[in-house]
Amino acid sequence: MSAIERHNTKQAGTGKTAMVFAHGFGCDQNMWRCVAPSFEDRYRTVLFDHVGAGGSDLSAYDPTKYASLHGYADDVVELSRALGVTGGVFVGHSVSAMVGILATKKAPELFDALVLVCPSPRYIDDADYVGGFSRVQIEELLDFLDSNHMGWSQAMAPTIMGNADRPELGGELTNSFCRMNPDVAKRFARTTFLADNRDDLQGVTARCLVIQCSEDVIAPQEVGEYVHRNLPGSELVLLDATGHCPNLSAPEATIAAIEAFLRGR
Amino acid sequence: MEKVTPNTRAQDTDDLEDLFENAPCGYASALPNGRLSKVNRTLSIWTGYSAEQLVGRRFLDLLNIAGKIYYETHFAPLLRMQGFFNEVALDLVRADGTTLPVLVNAVVRRDDSDDIRFIRITIFNASDRRRYEHDLLEARRTADQATAALQDLNLTLEAQVAKRTAQRDRAWRLSQELLVVALPDGIFESVNPTWNELLGWRDEELLGASFVERTHPDDLDAAQAALTDILTRPLTVPHESRFRHMDGSYRWFAWTASFEDGRIYASGRDITVEREQADALRQSQKMEAVGQLTGGLAHDFNNLLAGISGSLEMMQNRMQQGRFQDVERYVAVAQGASKRAAALTHRLLAFSRRQTLDPKPTDVNRLVAGMHEMIQLTVGPGIPVDVVGASGLWPALVDPPQLENALLNLCINGRDAMPSGGRITIEIANRWLDARAARKLDMPEGQYLSLCVTDTGTGMPPEVVARVFEPFFTTKPIGEGTGLGLSMIYGFAQQSGGQVRIHSKVGLGSTVCIYLPRHSGEVDVDDRTAKLAVLPRSVQGETVLVVDDEPSVRMLVTDILEDLGYTAIEAGDSAAGLKVLQSNVRIDLLVTDVGLPGGMNGRQMADAARVSRPDLQVLFVTGYAENAFLGNGHLASGMAVLTKPFPIETMASRIRSMIEGSKAKARRP
Repeated sequence: MSAIERHNTKQAGTGKTAMVFAHGFGCDQNMWRCVAPSFEDRYRTVLFDHVGAGGSDLSAYDPTKYASLHGYADDVVELSRALGVTGGVFVGHSVSAMVGILATKKAPELFDALVLVCPSPRYIDDADYVGGFSRVQIEELLDFLDSNHMGWSQAMAPTIMGNADRPELGGELTNSFCRMNPDVAKRFARTTFLADNRDDLQGVTARCLVIQCSEDVIAPQEVGEYVHRNLPGSELVLLDATGHCPNLSAPEATIAAIEAFLRGR
Repeated sequence: MEKVTPNTRAQDTDDLEDLFENAPCGYASALPNGRLSKVNRTLSIWTGYSAEQLVGRRFLDLLNIAGKIYYETHFAPLLRMQGFFNEVALDLVRADGTTLPVLVNAVVRRDDSDDIRFIRITIFNASDRRRYEHDLLEARRTADQATAALQDLNLTLEAQVAKRTAQRDRAWRLSQELLVVALPDGIFESVNPTWNELLGWRDEELLGASFVERTHPDDLDAAQAALTDILTRPLTVPHESRFRHMDGSYRWFAWTASFEDGRIYASGRDITVEREQADALRQSQKMEAVGQLTGGLAHDFNNLLAGISGSLEMMQNRMQQGRFQDVERYVAVAQGASKRAAALTHRLLAFSRRQTLDPKPTDVNRLVAGMHEMIQLTVGPGIPVDVVGASGLWPALVDPPQLENALLNLCINGRDAMPSGGRITIEIANRWLDARAARKLDMPEGQYLSLCVTDTGTGMPPEVVARVFEPFFTTKPIGEGTGLGLSMIYGFAQQSGGQVRIHSKVGLGSTVCIYLPRHSGEVDVDDRTAKLAVLPRSVQGETVLVVDDEPSVRMLVTDILEDLGYTAIEAGDSAAGLKVLQSNVRIDLLVTDVGLPGGMNGRQMADAARVSRPDLQVLFVTGYAENAFLGNGHLASGMAVLTKPFPIETMASRIRSMIEGSKAKARRP
């Protein structure tokens, strides 16, 4: 199976320049449903699911490979090459912002511009660095994930899946906008929240836009400012939006910020 | 139909308000920015926060850290994209820090221009459901493990069965014990190879055969009884029996067995060597005991022989010197030593309980008084001997010389227990044992005489007291004691219908009591006081037949008889004796040994003679107690017993009294 199929890749638009949208932890390419269409008139938009999420090929999931964000970055490189992407735009949300950083350092020719939506190079506080979480909190998260399945009850989800009495629940789960295999989600959480990619910010040659929201419990404002400071020549935009997903809660503002950034190059 | 009035509308509003506030689920409304604008009382109660505290906060602020992250990364996006989410399992963190498992539904409410008016959040308490889920998960995990184990077992079952079978087969083949499966009647169905190794038989010689065929004939009854028992309960205490080897010899096996499902399963351990070792050990213990005994006897006899032979030599010396007045002393010494030697053999026989007792009604006060001086001389001047007699003392039925021996023995023991001096007390008393006292002494109820000897010596610890009546048990070095003293007294007391009891404490001395049965009757005058000088002489030429295979004894008895004026006829065996008895010769008394050559013993010969001479007086003279031949002490009338060695005056007076008695009887109508 090719990388394109494996990642449930969806292309649209007619532009010469490719614009690759990568979703973060918790969702799939649906994350971009309010944003990507706005760029189809000028760009070739590429939407894909990380392995383990959405419509990807679950059988390709390799716990060892995906124990590090490098595994996801390698996928981005492979997929982009398969799609013939060069000098493109990479738009990464949340943890995929750092996946884009790693990918562009592996293959600088792929992307000229990176849009980092609510990025975080490290979630755990470290000395003067503010990541937003104490180590104890992240350990609590991981312990909790080991003993519970978040969200849909672990015991009930499989029952609901095949439950003829409640088709509305089964439908929600099987056609969810945010599909992720629970076991993969657990591992992805571990990979994400234990990552430390601060040093990888150094030596990025592509132009970078950092989009930051207020009241983001996942990536606080200090983190966005840290990324901005450590990416030479980067721009920082603080959106008038709350939460971790401006691409959903404030799609217009997000589009505007990206367009302004892209126009400026 | 009722009209709706302002009044009823107000009631409806109250009703709805009540429903909202007190519904069995939490309600919250959130603004498009996620902040709560309204909450009901139920949620307030569940969380421990007042409505005022909750309004203005984000819903995710109520979640634990994992919930916050998941809400933000999963459910908030879902709500945005889908407009609702249902039954999301989350944990609320209450004001007090505890958590409440909940299920959360959320739905976006939009206005006509599709703008978000508010988000309705409904929260269900899921404590019970989470617990069921937990139990369900546990059950499924257990079931999964069991399934996995079962699959694993299926995969390896054949190998395991093969391995186990091989192991059991190996156990069967390699066992050092005889293993056998047999039918309930003892027919062998299956035997292990050890049978061939230990007994030489091949399988085909054993299978189908019964254990009876090769079990030692002497063990067969017990073996068959054991086999019968196995059918009802397992044989756990090993049954020992001999089984024939192919070479004809027998080997000992200790068998254990069980009966199950129509078959006997038995295993037999070869204990032949153990048995031989145990026999050898018993033999060596016996030899050791004999050594102890013979050593002690040799010591005692040598002492006595020294007294006798020394006296005889001194008598010879004095006679050669013509000092006849001194001879009397040495005669007394030699006689004393001879008596003690006789007493020693009696003690031996008492130990074996084969002495010939001659119980008589006896005044024990007088007997002890008569011994007092001799005992005092024996124990020496360092140890005063006190006698505490009893007035109104009952007569006892006892063999007086044996009682004297026992008393002397106890006093010597007392002396030996007091190497640095002390005191011996001899106490005689009537004892009427009621049921309680009898039980305490382990004796039958009744009236007894007690003769107790108490010393003030070293005493004995309980473990020694427990063994003092055992034959050969002695605390003295080899050669100084036979270890038979107390055991002989025990045998004597038992044979006399009495008992011996000992009380001892280390450092406080010991008391040994002999209990003797009361005799209800008069006490005879002791005939041993008769003196040689007044020996009765025959006046009518009575004839006595003397039968003894020992010529010296025959000669001695004949001499005594002739001194007394009787006519003596001698015979050396029972055949010769019977010949005389069946003739017409006058015989007033038969004096015969019990053990005789010539086809009959003395008793049989006497009985044969009494066919033709029913009133024949018989005096048995015996070296040891052929009690069985003498009817265990119950002799027919006109018969009496005298044990060798005997004082001549005793023999003489006994002969005289028997002949006189016979004549008196004959004179009676």
